[in-house]
Amino acid sequence: MNLDLSPADTAFRAEVRAFLDAHLTDELRSQQSKTSSMYPEPKVSGPWQRILQSRGWLVPLWPREWGGTGWTALQRFIFETECALAGAPLVHPMGARLIGPVLLRFGTEAQKQFYLPRILSGDDYWCQGFSEPNAGSDLASLQLRAVPEGNDYVLDGTKVWTTHAHHANRMFALVRTSTEGKRQQGISFLLVDMALPGITVRPIATIGGDHDVNEVHFENVRVPIADRVGEENAGWECAKYLLEFERGAGIFSPRLRSQLKRVADVFHAVDDLPDALLQRFGEMVADVDTFEWLELRTMGGLAPGASPGPVSSILKLRASRIKQAIGELGVDALGEAGLRWRSDAPGARLPVSVLVPEYCNSRAFTIFGGAAEVQLGLIAKNVVQV
Amino acid sequence: MRFELTDEQQLIAASASDWLHDHCDFRQRKAGLLRDGGNPATWRAMAGLGWLGLPLPGAYGGLDMGAMECGLLAQALGRHLVTEPLIDSTLQAARLLALTGSPQQRERWLPGVVDGTHRLALAHAEGSRLPWDVPQATARRDGPDWLLSGVKRHVLSAPGAVRWIVSARLQQAGPQAVRSAQVAHAEHRSATVALFLVDPGAAGVALDAYDTSDGGRAGDLVFDAVRLDASSRLGVDESEGEGEGHVDALATLHRVLAEGIVARCWWATGAMQAAFEQTTQYVQQRRQFGQSLSAFQVVQHRLAEMAVLCAEAQAACELASIGLAQLSVPSAAASRDIAALVKSKVARAARYVSQECVQLHGAMGVCEELPIASAFRALMAFAQMGGDSASHALAVGRNLLADGRFALSSTLGEAQQPTSVTAATTAVTTVTTTAATTATTTVQKETSA
Repeated sequence: MNLDLSPADTAFRAEVRAFLDAHLTDELRSQQSKTSSMYPEPKVSGPWQRILQSRGWLVPLWPREWGGTGWTALQRFIFETECALAGAPLVHPMGARLIGPVLLRFGTEAQKQFYLPRILSGDDYWCQGFSEPNAGSDLASLQLRAVPEGNDYVLDGTKVWTTHAHHANRMFALVRTSTEGKRQQGISFLLVDMALPGITVRPIATIGGDHDVNEVHFENVRVPIADRVGEENAGWECAKYLLEFERGAGIFSPRLRSQLKRVADVFHAVDDLPDALLQRFGEMVADVDTFEWLELRTMGGLAPGASPGPVSSILKLRASRIKQAIGELGVDALGEAGLRWRSDAPGARLPVSVLVPEYCNSRAFTIFGGAAEVQLGLIAKNVVQV
Repeated sequence: MRFELTDEQQLIAASASDWLHDHCDFRQRKAGLLRDGGNPATWRAMAGLGWLGLPLPGAYGGLDMGAMECGLLAQALGRHLVTEPLIDSTLQAARLLALTGSPQQRERWLPGVVDGTHRLALAHAEGSRLPWDVPQATARRDGPDWLLSGVKRHVLSAPGAVRWIVSARLQQAGPQAVRSAQVAHAEHRSATVALFLVDPGAAGVALDAYDTSDGGRAGDLVFDAVRLDASSRLGVDESEGEGEGHVDALATLHRVLAEGIVARCWWATGAMQAAFEQTTQYVQQRRQFGQSLSAFQVVQHRLAEMAVLCAEAQAACELASIGLAQLSVPSAAASRDIAALVKSKVARAARYVSQECVQLHGAMGVCEELPIASAFRALMAFAQMGGDSASHALAVGRNLLADGRFALSSTLGEAQQPTSVTAATTAVTTVTTTAATTATTTVQKETSA
């Protein structure tokens, strides 16, 4: 084991830095730093994604012929690290990292030709229609009905916790096309135009005060059968691939460190920090440093798109908990100054308006994408093997 | 970048594991408990395997191995809760002697360490929370000799060691002892701390020897104007005048102490991994309420929490050893930070895992029949050795916040330039480190607005 960067990787890193120096504007940086919700608004991520796309770096994991970079896992890690530490906006993952790979694997040629370029150009902004009122961690119990009628499916039901549905013009959705057999076998994967008649998006007020998630109601919504990905009743396979791919592709540690940098800004601005908080700061550095190596070592040897296997549950669990712990340290360091809700004192150096909602929002990280309890169950089953 | 162990490293880990499995199981281990130097037969066997010289120079019979190899051996020892003082003697005292001793001193003491004839112990701590303080023990000139006075506490495996390496601050030399201006200046500037080889049988030495909670032995040492001849001081062969280069004792001492902390973290990681595996087996066998304990979700989740902590402890140890291997000697400041971070991580994990292993064993967890109680005590002792994790976390949190290095990637390397020197009472120069072992990278600004 060693951390020696090859000359090629060192040069790559310099190239990424030079690119960031030249193209990452203070404006974009500042907007990302003011983001307390999970993803930046499209007005922040959109311009940055156009910049990345013009450099050919928007979709590193896609095959080269569709715009991918052919980077090694280490190069992706370098890229993500440099972007995060420089304060670049997050790329909205729904298109580039979730539906893109699914279309590349399961989509028809026509679907690829139509949808993939629109992800690259930013013409399409995607949301994910998975969760339902009665299907959260137990996703296979989803019920949104899709009944074939002529060339369409007719959709009735509700999706919920749909992140950025109010911004999205397209949704990829899991729908129920059969109630026969195993629950997983009656699910299909559809691409839905959000402008279709019968779709209503309602905001859900959440703990941090940001508008992130929505309820999406479907009433007699006609989706062309041609917009189904994969076979009818084979949607679960697409969903599993998407989740696996996301686990293999997600790089958490650089953003944890940039989150810690924001908390450090508070530490620097506060005069009378108790030792207890400095101790926790030291512990957070130990946690983030360790997690970074754990993550890099896990991903480092993987071929692009390969799944890291059961250890991905450990990474997901730790990333979400570390994020929460950093957020908690931030609000604890603010003390009474943290009483302000979503505003900053005039001329203040403390990023209260961000840190307080961010901490509240961070509680969702051990809930979505497989709750912590689900991950613990998976770890027990697949890592401990009891 | 390399994400796997080398073949040689894997071989060291596997062969150590195999040998310990055959020769140091829980029953056999008992022969070495609460006994000065442990079981002599085990010690001889370890010498035969080359373990007692693992990091020591080949010229004295050692194997010249690095931090990762030492860590892997320590991990294997930890898995079997081995109490024989390999870390104390070989990885701490002998390693320090190898780095700071004169050729004569090395020749005199290292071969015997390697072949198991005698042991050394490092006597530095005096009861402060962290091991980085300048010692209060003093050495002052008396003619050609030194007079050593002071107290050393919790010196691991001190009883039965042939020599102790004792740290002391130098007091102003008397007029008759002033040597060349150059040496005097060097001493005044940086070498207020020196290391001495002390014979436990010397006049003025008192030893309070006691058992330790992990099954080892330790001692509190009192030195009352103990007379040491000039050749006792490490690194300075005063009989040969100006010939010997002066070694910065404090920086090297800190480096070696940091290596010891990392090695003990490996040991603890091995101990908690083994205890976790035993616990997993136990809850699968033990049946209550008509089913095995492992069928309960509450038990499964707790096993999963332990698995996560074991994986993190392993990663923390690897990162620390990679970091040490990458640093030149002594690199005291960087070594201290590495030690503090890994200690914080592993000690917190060890606390949780050791408690849960006892709990999930039920009453069997608190009885001496199974290794769990021994592992619990060993991990408790680990947390206390070499500075507690809270103090380490506080110190390193303060350091890294002040110089901004917390914001740097822990894996991608970076030329570092500390913006301030904040280490508690010591002012030790920081050596800049680079990811590549050869090329010196330019310093990059990283702490952006």
